Amino acid sequence: MRLKKVQALKAYIPTASMADIAFLLIIFFMVTTKFDVDRTRVPLPKSSFREEVPKGSAYVVIHREEGGYIYKFSNGEDPSQPLPDMTALAAQVNALAQVDPTKPYIIKADKGTPYRMIDETLETLRRAGVETVIMLTEQKTVEDQG
Amino acid sequence: MGLRDRIQKVEAEISSASMADIAFLLIIFFMVTAVFSATKGLDFKLPSDDEQQSTEEQEAIFFKVLEDGTFLMDKRPATLDEIRDYVVPKLERWPDKPIIIYARPEAPYEALVGIYDELVKLAKPPENGGYGLLTKPPNISIPTQSEINEYVALFGVNPFEQD
Repeated sequence: MRLKKVQALKAYIPTASMADIAFLLIIFFMVTTKFDVDRTRVPLPKSSFREEVPKGSAYVVIHREEGGYIYKFSNGEDPSQPLPDMTALAAQVNALAQVDPTKPYIIKADKGTPYRMIDETLETLRRAGVETVIMLTEQKTVEDQG
Repeated sequence: MGLRDRIQKVEAEISSASMADIAFLLIIFFMVTAVFSATKGLDFKLPSDDEQQSTEEQEAIFFKVLEDGTFLMDKRPATLDEIRDYVVPKLERWPDKPIIIYARPEAPYEALVGIYDELVKLAKPPENGGYGLLTKPPNISIPTQSEINEYVALFGVNPFEQD
């Protein structure tokens, strides 16, 4: 009997659309990427109700380091800078309040921060005429509620 | 002439072989630099100097946050789960009833945020993560240390530390 010759098919992966997909992903990341003004890792308090913070808000960061608590400040445009004390923070807040009195402020504080430090910060902001403050939180989950 | 016929035409083309490489390089860059950070929190309005109100302590619901993170609700130890059942009936009768949250100076910030969150949720609709039990947001006030100091200077006692 005469057998038919089996023709071997060449296996290949079509790559014509790869560049399209790649550019689609680039556009997605370009649109969604936010260059945060503050990237300090802070263990935040948890809350189950959270609101989106307004873009361009100023940041007051209180985070714990080995030597104690440290303040950082960002006007919402430039990266956050460490501050030596509350007086320096007050000077920054007052300077910014003169330029933009309606600027919202975000308090990004370590969950274990003693309340007196938050109180001093709120008092400083209030004296400068700040009205809107957002306490940055993490999402509370079912496990947190126990 | 015979010479002209021999010139081979070179096809113009833009090499696109490396385009995908460049594209993926850019993707990786954006993936690495993208920050998936916390961008949500609890909104809090600070009073301005001209609109400060005095709140009568005896008429208010009073929370006192202690140094160990626990708190007293109208002078009785309580947990976050108990806030809703205690506060809602009172606010249903009197929606403007003030709620005072006083935190001792060394109390952890986290404890205050927990109470504030629970109170804010009472008037927020369920689709926004709230309980939707109240129509009007509760009237929450957090006295600052300078306000307390002013009171102490006038009357000689801290009103929130009296039992």
